Amino acid sequence: MSAPILQLERLSIFAPGHDGPRPLVTESSLTVATGESVGLVGESGSGKTLTVRAIAGLLPDGFTTTGTIRVDGRDFAELSPRELRDLRARRMGMIFQTPRAHLNPLRTIGDFMTEALVTVASERREAAERRSLDLLDEVGIADPGRRLRQYPAELSGGLLQRVMIAATLAMDPQILLADEITTALDVTTQEEVMAVIAELRAHRELSLLFITHDLALAGAVCDRVNVMQGGRILETLNAATMRLDAREEYTRVLMSAALSTDPLVGSATLDAAAPAGGAPAANVERPPLLVVDDLRKTYRVRSAGGRGREDLVAVDDVGFELDAGGSLGIVGESGSGKSTTARIICGLERADSGAVTVAGEDWSRPARGGRERRERAKTVQMVFQDPYQSLDRRQTVRQCLAEAIRVHRKRDSREAIDARIRELMAAVRLEERLLDSRPRALSGGQRQRVAIARALAADPRVLVLDEAVSALDVTTQVEILTLLDTIRRETGVALLMITHDLTVIRRLCDEVVVMRAGRIEERGTATAILDDPQAEYTRLLLDSIPREGWRPRRRRPARTTPIPTVLGSVTSAVSVVAESTPAARTTPSDPTNDPGGRS
Amino acid sequence: MNSLLRTLLGRLGGLLLTLFLASVVIYSALLVTPGDPVSTIAGGAKPTPELIAQIRAEYHLDDPVWMRYWQWLSGVFTGDFGRSFVYKTDVLNLIAPRFGVTFQLVLLTVVIILIFGVGSGVLAATRGAKVDRAVSIATSLGMALPTFVVAILLIWVFAKSLGWFPVFGEGAPGRDRLWHLVLPAVSLAVMFNAYISRVTRSALVAQLHSEHVDTARVRGIPRARIFRVHVFRNASPQILAIAGTTIAGLFAASAIAEQAFGLGGLGSLLTEAAARKDLPVVQLVSLLLVAIFVVLNAVADLVSALIDPDSVASGRQA
Amino acid sequence: MSVAQLAQGSVPHAAKRAARRDAVFTASVVAFGIIVAASLIGPWIAPYDPNELYVGPVNGVVSLAHPFGTDDVGRDILSRVLVGAGASVFAPIAIVVLSTLAGALLAVLAAWYGGVLRGAIARVVDVIFAIPGLVLAVLAVAMFGKGLVAPVIALSIAYIPVVARLTQTAASRELGKPYIAALRVQGVSSFAVCFRHLVPALVPVVAAQMAVGFGYAMLDLAAISFLGLGQQAPAADWGSMIASGQSAILAGAPEQSLFPAILVVVTVLAVGIIGARVTVWAEEKER
Repeated sequence: MSAPILQLERLSIFAPGHDGPRPLVTESSLTVATGESVGLVGESGSGKTLTVRAIAGLLPDGFTTTGTIRVDGRDFAELSPRELRDLRARRMGMIFQTPRAHLNPLRTIGDFMTEALVTVASERREAAERRSLDLLDEVGIADPGRRLRQYPAELSGGLLQRVMIAATLAMDPQILLADEITTALDVTTQEEVMAVIAELRAHRELSLLFITHDLALAGAVCDRVNVMQGGRILETLNAATMRLDAREEYTRVLMSAALSTDPLVGSATLDAAAPAGGAPAANVERPPLLVVDDLRKTYRVRSAGGRGREDLVAVDDVGFELDAGGSLGIVGESGSGKSTTARIICGLERADSGAVTVAGEDWSRPARGGRERRERAKTVQMVFQDPYQSLDRRQTVRQCLAEAIRVHRKRDSREAIDARIRELMAAVRLEERLLDSRPRALSGGQRQRVAIARALAADPRVLVLDEAVSALDVTTQVEILTLLDTIRRETGVALLMITHDLTVIRRLCDEVVVMRAGRIEERGTATAILDDPQAEYTRLLLDSIPREGWRPRRRRPARTTPIPTVLGSVTSAVSVVAESTPAARTTPSDPTNDPGGRS
Repeated sequence: MNSLLRTLLGRLGGLLLTLFLASVVIYSALLVTPGDPVSTIAGGAKPTPELIAQIRAEYHLDDPVWMRYWQWLSGVFTGDFGRSFVYKTDVLNLIAPRFGVTFQLVLLTVVIILIFGVGSGVLAATRGAKVDRAVSIATSLGMALPTFVVAILLIWVFAKSLGWFPVFGEGAPGRDRLWHLVLPAVSLAVMFNAYISRVTRSALVAQLHSEHVDTARVRGIPRARIFRVHVFRNASPQILAIAGTTIAGLFAASAIAEQAFGLGGLGSLLTEAAARKDLPVVQLVSLLLVAIFVVLNAVADLVSALIDPDSVASGRQA
Repeated sequence: MSVAQLAQGSVPHAAKRAARRDAVFTASVVAFGIIVAASLIGPWIAPYDPNELYVGPVNGVVSLAHPFGTDDVGRDILSRVLVGAGASVFAPIAIVVLSTLAGALLAVLAAWYGGVLRGAIARVVDVIFAIPGLVLAVLAVAMFGKGLVAPVIALSIAYIPVVARLTQTAASRELGKPYIAALRVQGVSSFAVCFRHLVPALVPVVAAQMAVGFGYAMLDLAAISFLGLGQQAPAADWGSMIASGQSAILAGAPEQSLFPAILVVVTVLAVGIIGARVTVWAEEKER
């Protein structure tokens, strides 16, 4: 490798505190060589984002650093603010997790693309616009001329991320800082964006510092990977051999969480579990516990970008069955209608048409009176995505559970309720000393356990889990999934998992429904669908999951040649080959289908 | 743009409806007023039965309520604004000259607010912690200094002790008028200055901490340009909306400054009319103040919409 | 416009930091406490009959016998300030309590039922908002005559839009949170969701709004008395005292206006600092 473009030496970052600076990142060192791609992987609170913000000059007010940061061999400490700004503007580009928030909503894409060229590089406006067209073309955006006149609100999250990338390329940077750039995107969009970056790196002398929580993704797109925990870099691994090389226990945990697609419950354990779970196999004649038939739901929404209104079909002709003690996964990307389906089942939304039948009763109409509502609550319970938001922050764990229990056992004595609370705590493997804590004092995993305990209070027969692990760190995800599996075996509750993540399905579900844009693409047993998908969309979903040996591919044809640069003095000369065929490209995804976040 | 136009037309409809309902409230409130207006009109003397009958006919006091409202409303549209009970003259003749005084006072106050209020807010947001702190203390104090307190302090210091400014009256039109309006405008501006300063500062700080400004900083965009293009422009709809409400409110609040400095404006007319139960005057001045308030709010909304179309589409109300 | 409409602005960060500093906050609480106490027992501790003429010299300066001096007809200013404190402090409290009750009720109804009811409430609130508080108060005086009762009722109505809008925003945000959906799925009754979860969640927002609203109510009411439409002679409140002292200022004796003015400013300032503290508390609760 050649000379390092980025070098951190014993970098520490301190937050201002009441009693002196508090270290958040401690003596971290890493290098990125010219043309190299380096990953920085860690869970929330590991200090990875702070590190990259220190490099970019975006630390919050009052934060201080020690150690050195060098870009292109120049030490930040020795530069004047003006020189530093210039160095950052010309040598570095940064892309963020939420492109929509990182673009000025009142300025057009064209204003954004040309701004640095005009104000920093003193390009003429027409030249800057011509170059912007080429850059948008390079990142695979069709009809760039129209895009330049649009506002960020009119573009999808995936498109905006590509605009961000294109805009950073305008100054021909030597290193790209990418901070969780695909976390808010669907898995197929993630692959598209990563493919764009891979192509750019192939054509340009472009280094990459890739910050992510996803070790598998980092392993797939980086040459080397730094694992960070608690503000320290634990170890630096060669991406190709990291499975073998990892020394730290923590890295292994991350790997087992992220890289393994093995089911927690193999088919063998599943068979063993089945009798405990209400023995569905023995009672084939018994009707299914939950039958969803021909569900349809339409929303009136503000049309994307425009100011009119239009109908959005959220759920269209959806039907499936769930046996007592079974586990069914509904998988799909944002806008697939999977969450709406779950909310209809739980009575939080009403379907326009179609039927929900639970234990032989029609649940399509709203519950009449409190008694029926409580009866339904005893049958179906729900766990939500964000445990902090789904708990009342003013209630202690004890109050929260007691309230859930009292709904069904109004006359129970204090002691009986206390006993039941302890039972629930044991069921979700939470220590009783947490009973008097409020949600704020709990970790994400603990909060989700409380939410599950609360759902179990009614002894439900079906547990609906709406993205119940997707807001959690990967290590916590594994814990919660294992817990859910245990609970299912212990109590025989049927699970309905709503998720965007196929690995979750593989770990926990017997059956799968794949949804896209409100419709069912494919359904069947989990093993059949995951190992031998029939629908093209299911294959696409599976192929998009980062794993060993995975290379992101662009599914749509794109320009394969480098584009001419107007800042010739900055980069090495690039030969111009004018044989691109932008017309061959199809229109990128419809903005209405991809609001840029998961449902 | 077409749908934006539709939104704005919808807004205009809402504005007219609000105005109409407010006029009903104002008119009907005065109908349920206890006491007979005849005694007000007749003045101090005990009226003879003939005089009472004449007054009731002249002021349409015996017509049904809805008809009187209709006559009043159609009068408002045709330039017949009714007759004052006390001055026995057309209400319009009373209002017209006084409106000018109030308008000039408000205009001068707005200039002061835009310079000092917005200016100090910008300084607080951009010139570091010390300036921020100083402005914060000043605005905390300013928010506790109502017009009537500032007015008596100004009268005491500048008019009485130093003798630099006139104390009473609106003076002759022109430079003399301006001279007379300086102290009233300052007294009116102090509290609103503090408020606009705070609003400006918090709107700017929210933008300064926004993620798209991070993007601009990473890209090396010059600081002055970031402030102008990404911070101030994005914050301006919010500042404008609140400044609009404030400026609209000045027309009513000016009553206090007019009273303190003996200016013959709309506010002092309203106060005096209310004290003497001169209902036609109270009705029309109230309606005028409401109309000014509603229209100025709508104008601020419109300007905000031109800067940020989403602020209207998302349904923020004036 | 009513100054209460200004309350929608946010409290700046530096002011919040200042509010956190305990010395300033404690001083504010002590000052406000003294003023409230004085307004309660004012008539009993006043050294002179507040309305008795010529207990001292005309426009007398500050002295041992008359610590705040005497006014243009020789009345003791300290006694008048003490006795006037009752109306000056408790009338604004009445406004805040009445407008908060009405506004919060409308807000919770609108957020809870939504739909047509929310639209109707929004329209009513818009119409009230369109009539500036001062104008509404003057209208009330024109209807029911001078005195404090009419302006108190008028301002209570005029302050409803600010309370209702802020509370409704908070209530709608709270109702949109997943924990409310979780409670519904659990089968918890609507009554319990509303009174055990929604209403307690709104307390910090409403409390902060009340503290801020008090200052505005005090200023608006004093302004109405200043205009001569509120408290009527010979009784006094601070606003009417400031107005009647204007001629004394021109005669070179500012005491009659100055002392009540200082009290108004100190009260509003103290309540403002307390309000900033409550706002910080409300925001911390929100996190």
